[in-house]
Amino acid sequence: MAKVLMKGTVAIAEAAVRAGCRFFAGYPITPQNEIPEYLSWRLPEVGGAFVQGESEVASINMVYGAAANGTRAMTSSSSPGISLMTEGLSYLSGTKLPALVVNISRGGPGLGTIQPAQTDYLQATKAMGHGGFRVMVFAPSTLQEAVDLTYECFDYAERDRNPVLLLMDGSLGAIMEQVEFPPMKELTDEGTRKWNLAKHEGETRMPRMLTPVYPEVILENENKQRALLTKQWEENDVRVEEFMMEDAEYVVVAYGISARVSKEAILNLREQGHKVGLIRPITLFPFPKKTFQNLNYDQVKAFIDIELAIPAQMRDDIEVAVRGRAPVYEYGRSGGMLFDDESVYDAIHKIVTGGAE
Amino acid sequence: MKESLLLSGSGGQGIISGGFMLAESAVESDKHATFLPEYGPEQRGGSAQCTVTISDTEILSPLVKKCSSLIAMNEQAYKKFYTNLKAGGLMIINANRVTSEVTRKDVKVLSIPCDDIAVEIGNPKIAIIIMIGALLGASGILSKEAFLSSIEQKFAEKKPEVMEMNAIALQKGIDIGKQSL
Repeated sequence: MAKVLMKGTVAIAEAAVRAGCRFFAGYPITPQNEIPEYLSWRLPEVGGAFVQGESEVASINMVYGAAANGTRAMTSSSSPGISLMTEGLSYLSGTKLPALVVNISRGGPGLGTIQPAQTDYLQATKAMGHGGFRVMVFAPSTLQEAVDLTYECFDYAERDRNPVLLLMDGSLGAIMEQVEFPPMKELTDEGTRKWNLAKHEGETRMPRMLTPVYPEVILENENKQRALLTKQWEENDVRVEEFMMEDAEYVVVAYGISARVSKEAILNLREQGHKVGLIRPITLFPFPKKTFQNLNYDQVKAFIDIELAIPAQMRDDIEVAVRGRAPVYEYGRSGGMLFDDESVYDAIHKIVTGGAE
Repeated sequence: MKESLLLSGSGGQGIISGGFMLAESAVESDKHATFLPEYGPEQRGGSAQCTVTISDTEILSPLVKKCSSLIAMNEQAYKKFYTNLKAGGLMIINANRVTSEVTRKDVKVLSIPCDDIAVEIGNPKIAIIIMIGALLGASGILSKEAFLSSIEQKFAEKKPEVMEMNAIALQKGIDIGKQSL
C-alpha cells in the first residue's frame, strides 16, 4: 500500500482495524475524538461494532465484556477520561483479559487543558489502577511507529492476557504525516480459544466462567504469575532507540514527541562539537534499564530528562537505572505549553557548558 | 532540503486546506511532510494557522521555533507571526489586508494583492492558491504538477470550472513568485 498523509489519531484507528479490532466503545474527549469518529463508520464496514458509551466507566466495561468473548476490543480517551477508566482496567487485568487502551494525553491535573502534555507517565507505568497490576506501555514518536505498534499491541495483549496501553501526547495525535499501513490480519480466535466465553455452534464444552474475584491463596498465586510476567517483559520485550550514543558524553532521555524535538536539537549541538546522544524508550514499561547498565560511565557525564511534564516523571526510572553514576538533570514544559527545537537546544546547551545548577 | 512553512490568516481563507494540500503534494512527490494545525479554543475566535514541514529526509521535530517561509493572509496574522520567520526567509503577505509597514529588512518580502487578483480571476476564495503559487514560484519547494494533482483530488467532485480557476490562480502566483527572483 502506498504512503498516505494521515492524522495521528486516525492512523491509530485504521491500524487497530487492520490488527483485527472489531469492537470499540468510548466517550468523547479532546484531543482524541477522531479515533471514535473514524471507527464509528469504519468498524461497521468490516463487520465490527462501535458504541458511543454513556461514560468512560461504561465504555471500559463494554470493552471488558467484548474481550471476555474473545473479540479484539479497544477504547481510547485522553488523560481525565483515562482516569475514569482505571477501575475497569484493573478488572481487565484481574480477570486476565486482553484489550488495547489508547491515551492521547493532554495537560493536567484535573480537567486541565486540551493542549498536549506528557503528564500521565507515572499513572501509565506504575499504577494504571488499583491492586498492583502493571501493563505494557508503548510510546510511539512518529505516526508510522504509532501504526506499527498499534498493530502489534493486540498480539501482546492476547499473549499476556492483560491490557496494553498506547500512550501518545495530543500533538502527535493532531499532526499529519505519511504512513504506510500493514495488511488486514486474518481474524482467528487462536489467541483466545482456550478461555474465551463465546460458544460456537457445535461446541459441546461446559460453560466457562471468567472472574476478577479469587480466594486469597489463589489470588496470591495469580499475583506471583503477574510478577513473573513483568520479569519476562523486562527480559524479552523492551524496545528502545539509541541515537548518536556511541561517543555521547551527555545523554538526553526522552520519549514520544519530546524525543523528536530533542533529536533536532542534538543534531544542532553536534554541529557545535558537543557530544550529545539520545536514549528513547519505546516501551515506557518495561523501562529499558539494561541500556543504562551497558553505558560506559567513564564517558557519560550527565543525563538530561526532557519531557512535556513539570516535574519530569520519567526521572525516577532514569535515576534507578543510572544508580548515582552520573547526575540527572531535567527540562520540560507543562500545562499544555510546548517546547521547540531552540528551547530544547538551549536547555541541553546550558548543561553541556556547565551552566546548569 | 528542509522547509517549514507557516500559513496564517482567518477561518474561511483556506489556510488549513491550503496547508494540507501542500503536505499532500509533498508526500506524493516522495518527500517527507508533517502538517500541524493549530487547534484549541483560539481557533473559534476566527484565526487559523498551520505549519507544514517538507523535507527530503525524515522530519525530526515537527515543532519548530522559526519557519523558513511565512504566508500571512491578514493584518492580525502578520502581526502575530512576522517575528517567527528565520533571517533570510520568505515572507508572503496579502497586500489587501496587511496594513502594517513591513519593518524586517533581513527577509525577502512578497506583497501580493491576492484578494484583488482572486476576484479578477473569478472567486475570492482562491486567494490562498495565488499565495501558495507565489511560494512555489519563489522557492521551488514543490512542482506545479504535484500541487495541481492535489487540487484535482480536492475538487474532483466539483464542476470543471473550479479546477480551471484554481489552475489559473496557481499559475498567476507562480509567475509572481518567479518574477521576484
